[in-house]
Amino acid sequence: MRSLLFTLSLSLLAAPAVAFDFGGALKKAAEIGTAVQGDSSQSPATAANAPAAGTQPAQESTAQTLLSAFDSTSEQEEITIGRQIAGNLLGAAPLVADDNLQRYVNKIGRWVASQSPRPDLAWHFGVIDSPDINAFAAPGGFIFLTAGLYRLLKNEAELAGVLGHEIGHVVRQHHLKILQQSKMVDLGSRLLVKQVSGDGSAAAQKLIGSGAEVVARSLDKGAEFEADRLGVVYAARAGYTPFALPSVLQQIGHAGSDTNSVALLFKTHPHPDDRLLKLGAAMGNRFDSMGGKELAERLPPLPAPAPAATPAAGK
Amino acid sequence: MGKLGVLITLLLLALPAWGGESGSLLKDDTLRAEPFSDARSVTKVKKGESVEILASSGGWLQVKAKKGSGWLRLLSVRKGNAGKSSSSGLLAAASGRSGASGKVVATTGIRGLSEEELKAAQFNGAELAKAESYAASRAEAAQFAAAGGVQARAIDELKAVK
Repeated sequence: MRSLLFTLSLSLLAAPAVAFDFGGALKKAAEIGTAVQGDSSQSPATAANAPAAGTQPAQESTAQTLLSAFDSTSEQEEITIGRQIAGNLLGAAPLVADDNLQRYVNKIGRWVASQSPRPDLAWHFGVIDSPDINAFAAPGGFIFLTAGLYRLLKNEAELAGVLGHEIGHVVRQHHLKILQQSKMVDLGSRLLVKQVSGDGSAAAQKLIGSGAEVVARSLDKGAEFEADRLGVVYAARAGYTPFALPSVLQQIGHAGSDTNSVALLFKTHPHPDDRLLKLGAAMGNRFDSMGGKELAERLPPLPAPAPAATPAAGK
Repeated sequence: MGKLGVLITLLLLALPAWGGESGSLLKDDTLRAEPFSDARSVTKVKKGESVEILASSGGWLQVKAKKGSGWLRLLSVRKGNAGKSSSSGLLAAASGRSGASGKVVATTGIRGLSEEELKAAQFNGAELAKAESYAASRAEAAQFAAAGGVQARAIDELKAVK
């Protein structure tokens, strides 16, 4: 109780002009896309909405202005949250030390993201130094895949498909909604609004703290299937073969029987077999004559692996 | 063409089989003579049936099944066969772990990204700044796509199918 009061007084002192609107972001998050985690019957939008009395002015034009202002700040706020989580994730596994590779992944990722409904988000992509097979998306457009997953990829189209899946999570704000459903809403969105001010990074640090487990949180299965469908479509829109993401899923399913490098991925995602079946049902024969680039020759190899691994591994 | 030539020929002939991966059917499907949905049906294949994967083309895999050879939809096939260790070497190497055929090896002591490690992760500002420095603009990305002959096209979103 004491800390709550303290936070309250802090929030009253905070400059309102630069304050982030958590309520707005959370409400927006709740409106976009499908269900996220577990039972979503209780609407967090209600909780986020209630204290934000200022969003219901009498005049419509004022409401319009306010709403658009909320929209722009909420994206800023989403990025601030995602940035903190991305920094935490990089604390667990740093980037693979290869400028060319990282720039390449950013170009492909940005090209695929340009085919999504959020083309102008400040997208960031990276390959992180871990033998695990996994990929992560944090709110605001921070996307990372592991070296272990990158090693399984046969061409640029497969990279595009994997990134497309993660871009789908960001577009639908799946992870943001998880955050919204957990601690942020518990604390009361209105407090957080005023707490996160200035450039927000210090406050975001306080808010999110350390840890990046949210990126590996089990989403609702429907959210994963949705991200698969979006990944296929974004990569295909970008000009790549639509069957690249399915190929990667096949490869991951195969990997699952042999190592535990996929332990976390398998724990937090539906089995690749189910994902293939769902994608197959959704894709039907619509993509049969679509074609698309694969560009195996453009995919840069990973730098020489750690001593334990075989140089030719994965190719 | 002496013995060596024969040997090379034999090796080349053997390559597809040697490089072929095993797979099994995720659902009942039709094996077709060519990689098109309206191509002639070779035979029916049942869920769970094993096939040998010979090649791939777009959304199709060329396979050898018990009752014939032909093409199957990629999305109807899972790769690998329980018990077969065709790729354990590769994957063990990729993961930096020496997983003996199908056995689960404990992660202890090997750097991975377990849930615990993610929970304990501490903010790394320097690495984040580095990550941000690699960002590509929309224009740069489009330029790089064009350089590879990759062209954007309009495609509707996919609907979920129960």
